[in-house]
Amino acid sequence: MNQYLSDVWKVRYFWWHLSMSDLRSRFRRSYFGMLWAVMQPLGLTVLISLVFSRLFNQPIAEYAPYILSGIIVWEYITATTVGGALAFVQADAYIKQTRHPLAIYTLRNVVTGLIVMSVASLALVAWVVLFFPGNIGWSWLAAPTIFPLIAMIAWPLATIMAYIGVRFRDLPNALALILQAAWFVSPVYFMDTMFRNGGLGFLLDYNPIYHLLQIVRAPVLQGEWPTATNYAWCLATAAALAMVAALLGKRSEKNVIFYL
Amino acid sequence: MSKTGIRLEDVHLHYSSIAFKERSVKSLLGSLLRSNRPRMRVEDIHALKGVSASIEQGERVGLIGHNGAGKSTFLKMVAGLYPISAGNSEIRGTVRALFDISLGFEPDATGRENILYRGLLLGFTPRQMRSIEEEIVDFADLGDFIDYPIKTYSAGMQVRLAFAISTSVGGDILLLDEVIGAGDASFIAKAKRRIMKLVDEAEIMMLASHDFSTLKSICTRSLVFDHGRIVFDGPTDEATDYYLETIGLPA
Repeated sequence: MNQYLSDVWKVRYFWWHLSMSDLRSRFRRSYFGMLWAVMQPLGLTVLISLVFSRLFNQPIAEYAPYILSGIIVWEYITATTVGGALAFVQADAYIKQTRHPLAIYTLRNVVTGLIVMSVASLALVAWVVLFFPGNIGWSWLAAPTIFPLIAMIAWPLATIMAYIGVRFRDLPNALALILQAAWFVSPVYFMDTMFRNGGLGFLLDYNPIYHLLQIVRAPVLQGEWPTATNYAWCLATAAALAMVAALLGKRSEKNVIFYL
Repeated sequence: MSKTGIRLEDVHLHYSSIAFKERSVKSLLGSLLRSNRPRMRVEDIHALKGVSASIEQGERVGLIGHNGAGKSTFLKMVAGLYPISAGNSEIRGTVRALFDISLGFEPDATGRENILYRGLLLGFTPRQMRSIEEEIVDFADLGDFIDYPIKTYSAGMQVRLAFAISTSVGGDILLLDEVIGAGDASFIAKAKRRIMKLVDEAEIMMLASHDFSTLKSICTRSLVFDHGRIVFDGPTDEATDYYLETIGLPA
């Protein structure tokens, strides 16, 4: 596995270039350009919090950053997972031509997503600084650890999807359904207190998405440090996914070229 | 590390039929349900059948055979793109393959930027690419167009740029699938000279071609392929005679 990662590092210029070119083509010829990465989640947040804060009787100023943090993290997970399912298929011209480690084609999505996500986070930080300056404290140092953590989870997850997606082209369609289901049982938009009060606390405690979200939400929204349990869940998820991805890769990396 | 060389022992290669049979969950389930009904079996394609060869440093080897005989598969196997299903293959040295050179241009980026991108694809660092950029620009000879986006290029200009980039750096083992003729007459002559320079620099060169005069002028040794097997291995003159005989043409 170390050998594999060092091969990935050797061609870093190539996948970095692929990521950057994805970014460029995404915002090319648009007036607001990169600003869309901020405006999209922000606009969605305003719409949702207007409705949900009425429905659930939550003060909007408090509820909005909760939703915004949910959208930013959730968007990243769906984008890398769905993108991962198509990663090998889209990179077929490269795969048929050169022998680079295949995981670089999913790393491409992971890196592009990280950049979009970090730009979007600026909106969250700005919101909290404006409305809840009391939350600012040392615990904020923990918030940026979401970036390496989420990348460590998303990369193997996207790679697993890529291996399945190249074999079964049904995957992108199925994923839309699976992700929707995962969204429903996770505190992405719904407050965690709603789960707990409804007797569904186990949907939080055994849900890696909840623990991942807590890495940002605890410091930024509550001014508290994330717990060791939160970190343990994230790292364990990353390790489990990495193991599956490595096994899959060992078995089928060489044969992917036949499926393209 | 020992010197450049290729050693193949009884190499078999299959294209797995699953790849074009059951593409979806639906057809997978469908085939389970109808398993008692007789249906057409799609076999794995046995593309290389027990190929053995040993190629030493300094050899120039031609690959001869009809379409689908296994020449390109053989080259892609040596390049490490296709996995072998049985046998032993040992390939020492960096492999440089020129198969499909018109890949990976970004239409909105300029010619100069695309030189960098293509170099990164081939595994070079930005610094290495800067050092050979001017040479590539000179060879492609596109004038001011080099600083225009690729999408403003004619098809011929794109091929020239692709060729100039792909042939700028060689390797220990050079694999060619047909010598590439690109652009107008004057460029083809220039292109041939450049390929020959790469061939001279390479430790080992393999060329798959139907053009016997080119093969005879470059390759001292040739392998004749037929239905995935090497049926002749020897001097190119004898190999071409053997091939012409088997297809019923006078030598």
